Amino acid sequence: MAKKLTNIPDLTIDLAGIRLKNPVLTASGTFGYGEEYADIVDLNRLGGVIVKGISLKPINGNPPPRIWETPSGMLNAIGLENPGVDVFLRDKLPFLRNYDTAVIVNIFGYSLEEYVGVAERLDGVPGVSGLEVNISCPNVKAGGIVFGTNSKAAFELLAAVRKATRLPVIAKLSPNVTDITEFAKAARDAGCDGLSLINTLLGMSIDVRSRRPRLANCTGGLSGPAIRPVAVRMVWQAAKAVSLPLIGMGGIMTAEDALEFILAGATAVAVGTANFVNPRATVDVAEGIGEFLRQQGIGSVRELVGQVRTA
Amino acid sequence: MPSSKLHRATVLHHRPAGRGYYRLVLRAPALASASAPGHFVMLRVSENLDPLLARPFGISSVIAKRSLELYYRVVGRGTTLLTAVGPGRELTVTGPLGNGFPAPSKGITPLLVAGGSGFPPLLYFAARYGKQSRLFAGSRDKECLPPLSAMKDFRSRVKAVHYATEDGSRGTCGFVTDSLAEYLSGPARDDRPVMYACGPHAMLAAVSRLAAEHAVPCYVSMEERMACGLGVCMGCSIAMKAGGYKRACKEGPVFDSREIEWGGQVTLKVGR
Repeated sequence: MAKKLTNIPDLTIDLAGIRLKNPVLTASGTFGYGEEYADIVDLNRLGGVIVKGISLKPINGNPPPRIWETPSGMLNAIGLENPGVDVFLRDKLPFLRNYDTAVIVNIFGYSLEEYVGVAERLDGVPGVSGLEVNISCPNVKAGGIVFGTNSKAAFELLAAVRKATRLPVIAKLSPNVTDITEFAKAARDAGCDGLSLINTLLGMSIDVRSRRPRLANCTGGLSGPAIRPVAVRMVWQAAKAVSLPLIGMGGIMTAEDALEFILAGATAVAVGTANFVNPRATVDVAEGIGEFLRQQGIGSVRELVGQVRTA
Repeated sequence: MPSSKLHRATVLHHRPAGRGYYRLVLRAPALASASAPGHFVMLRVSENLDPLLARPFGISSVIAKRSLELYYRVVGRGTTLLTAVGPGRELTVTGPLGNGFPAPSKGITPLLVAGGSGFPPLLYFAARYGKQSRLFAGSRDKECLPPLSAMKDFRSRVKAVHYATEDGSRGTCGFVTDSLAEYLSGPARDDRPVMYACGPHAMLAAVSRLAAEHAVPCYVSMEERMACGLGVCMGCSIAMKAGGYKRACKEGPVFDSREIEWGGQVTLKVGR
């Protein structure tokens, strides 16, 4: 019995100065503000919650249809619908403060000034552990992707956000670029404390009978297991290019999927679309990582970060 | 461990019900006892990752407080795969979800308006509040009306059934809204009618117009494509007259028809 107790693997990690009880987070936009899942998932068992993207002012989002299922994945073009930072602070954050889990707030804007504005509003707010800066939403014309696919613009934006807050700043990178390392380096040079990757891949689906796109927005972001190999590859490339801690995400359904990202170089992982398919996916992944470590006789999940054998 | 909405349900009965429909009965006591008319469930048709997402189904009845009855039409890959799931198998179900129909106040006459395969939530409504109800069932042709077992249940639960088919193969020839309009303008109109409708968007928009013309309260149950059913994916959003969107899975699927911006609805075939 005593021997068994000493065999409990250590799942804690330090993510850009944020201490997490395990490496499993919720990917922004797939877990709301936590409350929606609270009667299915014990939020205390999550490493952290990355909340749905918040902007300075409320945003209505795109007209429907907004989603379409694809082979082992889905397209979405929600358009960053959210109630704005004031409503978030008043109505959403207090609920999450009741739980022993890290809260990372995903932020975005339509201009550099709006990004800075949200970052300033969240600086020093109790219960907020860090910011994830979305520079990669493929579904809004003016915001996100403009910064996410031009490394100079990304650098300027992230440097401005960095100056606006004392919180750890994590840049969420777009996979819709030729060389992910260029953006990882730009984020590092701008003073970011960590990186999240990947956001969704830009995609499209067409109804051949009506000859119309499946989404009113025409194009949307592809997520789910279909994109996982692309995501693992990009995490691996980014991990080799910069020494920042990474949050790996893209189609994680199981603990084994999550471990791929960790071996590729991610310190933490985020579970996204899987929350729609299996509302308990986050805790299943966290438990599964612990079980894997036990089976393999590995003391801490930290020992696996970046340990893919490529030589 | 909180897990009040996530269930493993055992298939008790699963057979073709005629007219292209299947009737699926699932044993899920906690889910069944928490359900009310207008609620829906998200059902995973397989444990595989393709198709990835669960499908929304309206509950058509609760049997003996322990089991759920669902009717569905085979319309896509998901429902095709579902047909192969035999009795004894376990399925993952999330629910009950959504707001459900408001309980009718005393003295009203519920008018249940069912278009095509939209009848299941109304069948449940009829079981709970049916005695004074009239059913208006409409479809393209006789073969798209609710299956015989469902019609039998409707007849035993409501006081009158009105059929309308566009080709005249059953009941009045024309749209369900035509026979509804005739009833509302005619001598047989009951005191204090209130509409409860579920069906294709175009039909619901027409029912909503009719309700406004006749100053009749009207509740519509919206069938939308959705990924999570829990209010987080924001995929099932419906445009509101007052601006912005509401989620079919959370603020709905039942809305006061006056809330909805019908012109903002894009009607697409629901491929489930």
